Amino acid sequence: MAAPRYCPSCLSLAFVPLTLFRTAPRRPALLLLPPPQNQQPIQLRAASTNALKYRRKDPAAASRRKKARSTYLAPDLKNVVQFSLVDAMRYLRASEVGRPPTSSKYELHVRLRTAKNGAVVRNRLRLPHPVKTDLRICVIAPSDSPQGLAATAAGAAIVGEEEVFQAIRDETMKFDRCLCHTDSLPALTKANLGRMLGPKGLMPSVKTNTVVKDVAAAVREMAGASEYRERMGVVRMAIGQLGFTAEEVRRNIRAFVENVKRDMQGISDQTAKEMHEVVLSSTNGPGLSLNGTFGSADAELGDWSAAKA
Amino acid sequence: MVSLPHRMRKLQTRLLAIRLGSGAYILPKDINRIHMRFAPRIEGGHMGPRKFWHHELVRLKYHNPAISMTTDRTARAEDPAVLSVHFTSPTPTQSPDETTSGPAFADSTPAAAQPTERVSTIDMKHRTNAEILDELVRMTKAQAVEATEAEREELRSLEEQRVKGAKDSAKSLEVRARVAREKQLLEQARGELAADAV
Repeated sequence: MAAPRYCPSCLSLAFVPLTLFRTAPRRPALLLLPPPQNQQPIQLRAASTNALKYRRKDPAAASRRKKARSTYLAPDLKNVVQFSLVDAMRYLRASEVGRPPTSSKYELHVRLRTAKNGAVVRNRLRLPHPVKTDLRICVIAPSDSPQGLAATAAGAAIVGEEEVFQAIRDETMKFDRCLCHTDSLPALTKANLGRMLGPKGLMPSVKTNTVVKDVAAAVREMAGASEYRERMGVVRMAIGQLGFTAEEVRRNIRAFVENVKRDMQGISDQTAKEMHEVVLSSTNGPGLSLNGTFGSADAELGDWSAAKA
Repeated sequence: MVSLPHRMRKLQTRLLAIRLGSGAYILPKDINRIHMRFAPRIEGGHMGPRKFWHHELVRLKYHNPAISMTTDRTARAEDPAVLSVHFTSPTPTQSPDETTSGPAFADSTPAAAQPTERVSTIDMKHRTNAEILDELVRMTKAQAVEATEAEREELRSLEEQRVKGAKDSAKSLEVRARVAREKQLLEQARGELAADAV
């Protein structure tokens, strides 16, 4: 049966199917008379008590009754095509052919089975083979104090207090990380830079261990470390450059996955978390699910994995 | 999150496109390196090399992962576009090149592990990627990679699913558009009613 067709200009029924009147309509019938305000369908027969029972329910209530999922979806992995590390890297290296070996990166996505509203995994890790070695770090401390000098010696790109605040406000300063000395924290909060640094994740805070007493050591530690955090049930991090060999990538993956596991155990009393799937991808390549093995499925090609890209 | 079958279908399409297609050749063992030099923009006849890089070179790299394939896109538009193939003798005397590749690796320097005996070049300027591929195959006597029966079957079934999916999508789009239109008319009617009542 064709659904009722309406004339768009006068909103009248162009074709009136008989069933529209016989059964109490699931939507109010649009005739030349507009429907009454209380959403009761127009009864052309004697009013029956059935009408109340079969009256269309309030749509807001219908949508309210549908419960939202409380965990992220974790589909069954038996239908997933999985690859060993070397096979996956073969496809990714092919996708990235010709690009500079330091610009394209391998990235690892660890999909977790977790509730949506729980604690998130968030930490910093020093990979066995660091991916990004040129990091600009900004330190908020008086530039002439011993802490400030030590920070410059340790390799911080920008050190200072007032001039740094001004440069951040003017947006002339570009850096990737920001640290603050404990004594300079009041000055920092007073400068009201949360608006600029907060959205970028650069605001120093006690929770992220970016407000420190020993800035030099923190700068050294930060320069080699990569941060990761769980977003929407997935932890993603760059795990290697294109030029890395398969062994190096494997060591990085192992270190990263073990670290994530340890973090999950650490917060397991608040939220239960489990690792569901591990996917390797690259800047321009597809995402390939890893099955945990290293070597290639077909050994004809010999050991190419140690070759440069 | 995208559904699993959808994700697998897209992945298999992409992987099959990397394995099969124009450029799927196995090169002989005496090739050491392939290097391409062309301009970053296509003016001046550099579209062929660029397409070759994105399509054929990807498949060549998949089937010959041990051959180092690099590009150098710093040429100017008027410079020649050159593809150079470095040959070497196929003796298995691999120099110990297992060192970790740090960020100092420069892709434009011919840092060959094995001594390069000869270099052949192909002029790529103002030529299509198919022509460049033909000349490369002729020069290196490469062996084409044929699709296996399983792969052909998979390609067929993926194509069928794609066509079916497109039809279903068109149908459901029609139904959804109709439902949305009716809902819109309802809202309009209610709006007019509210206006009248006021």
